[in-house]
Amino acid sequence: MVEFQSKLEQEFSLVERSLNGQAKSPIHAIRKQAMARFAELGFPTIRHEEWKYTNLMPIVKQDYALTLQAASSLTKADIEPFLIPDVEANVLVFVNGSYSAALSTIISDKGVEVMPLAEAFTKKTAVVEKHFAQYAAWQNDAMLALNTAFSLNGAYIEVANSAVIEEPFHLLFVNDSRQQSTFAPARNLIVLGVNAEATIVESAHTLVSGENVGFTNVVSEVVLAENARLQHYKIQNDVTQSHFVGALHAHQEATSILNTVVVTLSGGIVRNNLNAVLAGKAADTHFYGLYLVNGKTLVDNHTLADHAVAHCTSNELYKGIMDDRSTGVFNGKIMVRPDAQKTLAYQSNRNILMSPNATVNTKPQLEIFADDVKCSHGCTSGQLDDEALFYLRARGLDREQARALLLYAFAGEITEKIELEPLRERLESIIAERLHQELV
Amino acid sequence: MLTITNLQASVEGKEILKGINLTIGKGEIHAIMGPNGSGKSTLASVLAGREDYEITGGSVDFDGKDLLEMSPEERAREGVFLAFQYPVEIPGVSNTNFLKAAVNEVRKHRGLEPMEPKAFLKMMREKMALVEMDQAMVSRSVNEGFSGGEKKRNEIFQLAMLEPKLSILDETDSGLDIDALKIVSNGVNKLRSKETSTIVITHYQRLLDYIVPDFVHVLYKGRIVKSGGKELALELEAKGYDWVKELALEEVV
Ligand SMILES: Nc1ncnc2c1ncn2[C@@H]1O[C@H](COP(=O)(O)OP(=O)(O)OP(=O)(O)O)[C@@H](O)[C@H]1O
Ligand SMILES: [Mg+2]
Repeated sequence: MVEFQSKLEQEFSLVERSLNGQAKSPIHAIRKQAMARFAELGFPTIRHEEWKYTNLMPIVKQDYALTLQAASSLTKADIEPFLIPDVEANVLVFVNGSYSAALSTIISDKGVEVMPLAEAFTKKTAVVEKHFAQYAAWQNDAMLALNTAFSLNGAYIEVANSAVIEEPFHLLFVNDSRQQSTFAPARNLIVLGVNAEATIVESAHTLVSGENVGFTNVVSEVVLAENARLQHYKIQNDVTQSHFVGALHAHQEATSILNTVVVTLSGGIVRNNLNAVLAGKAADTHFYGLYLVNGKTLVDNHTLADHAVAHCTSNELYKGIMDDRSTGVFNGKIMVRPDAQKTLAYQSNRNILMSPNATVNTKPQLEIFADDVKCSHGCTSGQLDDEALFYLRARGLDREQARALLLYAFAGEITEKIELEPLRERLESIIAERLHQELV
Repeated sequence: MLTITNLQASVEGKEILKGINLTIGKGEIHAIMGPNGSGKSTLASVLAGREDYEITGGSVDFDGKDLLEMSPEERAREGVFLAFQYPVEIPGVSNTNFLKAAVNEVRKHRGLEPMEPKAFLKMMREKMALVEMDQAMVSRSVNEGFSGGEKKRNEIFQLAMLEPKLSILDETDSGLDIDALKIVSNGVNKLRSKETSTIVITHYQRLLDYIVPDFVHVLYKGRIVKSGGKELALELEAKGYDWVKELALEEVV
């Protein structure tokens, strides 16, 4: 583990040398601080409260290449399976952290500036400097510090005031670990102007061979100006020889609406942090998550709805269906700061355990420092409802069909939150197929 | 059609059915009445195959087959239909999808192809008309947020769709308003034939004015303590259950 950490430190100096003029930029000053902080903190162990159930040690014991500058041999055909079918989308493809213009397609031009972050550092310096690393607080978060240190590329999307971008942005992160196990970091900056609207889909995909594993680390910083609306969907259906640690840090101004849906269907160790700071009056945030996993997959969702001012709403529902030896972790924090009167904050985590060897650790955390608020939270873990099962069987469905139907309905409460129809349909069919395969 | 012989069942070690004997012929309607807690729903559940009950004795023959050996779904496919006393709400499962799956399972069992979507929709519309269900209700999730009466009506709608041989109606009348009672009873009557049989579990004579039984049985403490013609229901309505309870006591002594 120390080896990988020191390798990252060495790699950082190499990166610095390649930066030329930019090495003196304020952005790079932040990277340097973040790198120093990461070196201090090291990878988190399970002794760290936030990583209690998710042990990164076996992952970071591996040796990874960090090939930020590598040219990719991937073709459009290689990434075709990762695309959302039947949708006109902007697709930004990053291979091992580097932007691939050849594999990307940008179709929206009015009301939006979209480019790789590496380009935005020079072309959009003022905006980047204003927002970069301002919301994703890396000082006490080793993984975030690491991402900040290596924030060399990713997507930059800036939607102009009042612009409504119909075409979704699909940010596609490919970790090509076929030659060697690879660590692939990426960093996105998404800025929505006043009254702006956009839809963003993030997905990460790993290509492996032999014993190799991919380790992907994607962090998005999202700024919603007044009354902006963002649909943010994160789809995780990666190979089991892949690990993912990522985060979304959102900053919401008054009456803005953020709708996030995280769907995890497969992977090795998957850790998602999701933080939204409700910084303007009557901002509204929705966190929805579904993890439908089997094998030895571990899915860890840490969320924080941070109510900083009055009259904001947060609504959170995470649901899990866990089979085999899979592990689920849900840690949902609601923070209501002293000024955040009239807060409405709801949180619920519901799990169905399909196997006696599957486990779920769920922990709601409410920190409420205002008195005139409505907050609720609840969690359940259990099996399918026997009454419902019998009812369906009494109409002629066999046990497996009945179970599949009930589980599909259970998952449907999350997938229905995806407003991008082709994506929702695609996921629903994957889920139906999965349930059918496992049960029928 | 159905021969129940000395059927005994218990739940959590408590004996509830203590030796039921009942024979139901083709085309017959049998009413089962009896005080609360006497075991009527238990009998219905045992016939439908609910696994919470342990069968401790007796047998049930359904059209020459051993009913108790079958899983709940096999019974349904063979043509046993239980209209639940308390229909279950199933959020997220649409009535239509659920019924399509159920109808096609029953058809598969009978060696028929799955229904064409068009034919299925046509059948849905016909059966909806029969019990006067509206499209909005059919499009919703199974029983979710339905009123008590709507749930009961939905049970009979499902019955109409599945065309069973043996229908067991467990207090289908409770929760129905006067008009709905008529509609639902009419529906049940129209669906009957010489080839189908019905068990009607009820507390009230009124339902039996519409669905006229050939036989009435009184179940008390897990036994059928009195059987008679449709006039027995009228007698019970007038006199209550005390006299049958006494009859039961005499028999035991
Ligand atoms: N799962 C169970 N666990 C424990 N007791 C049960 C269970 N199911 C039924 N019983 C008991 O068995 C007895 C018979 O219940 P059942 O529901 O069959 O009565 P019923 O005749 O249908 O009554 P009602 O007219 O009120 O519907 C009751 O005393 C009931 O409490
Ligand atoms: Mg009952």
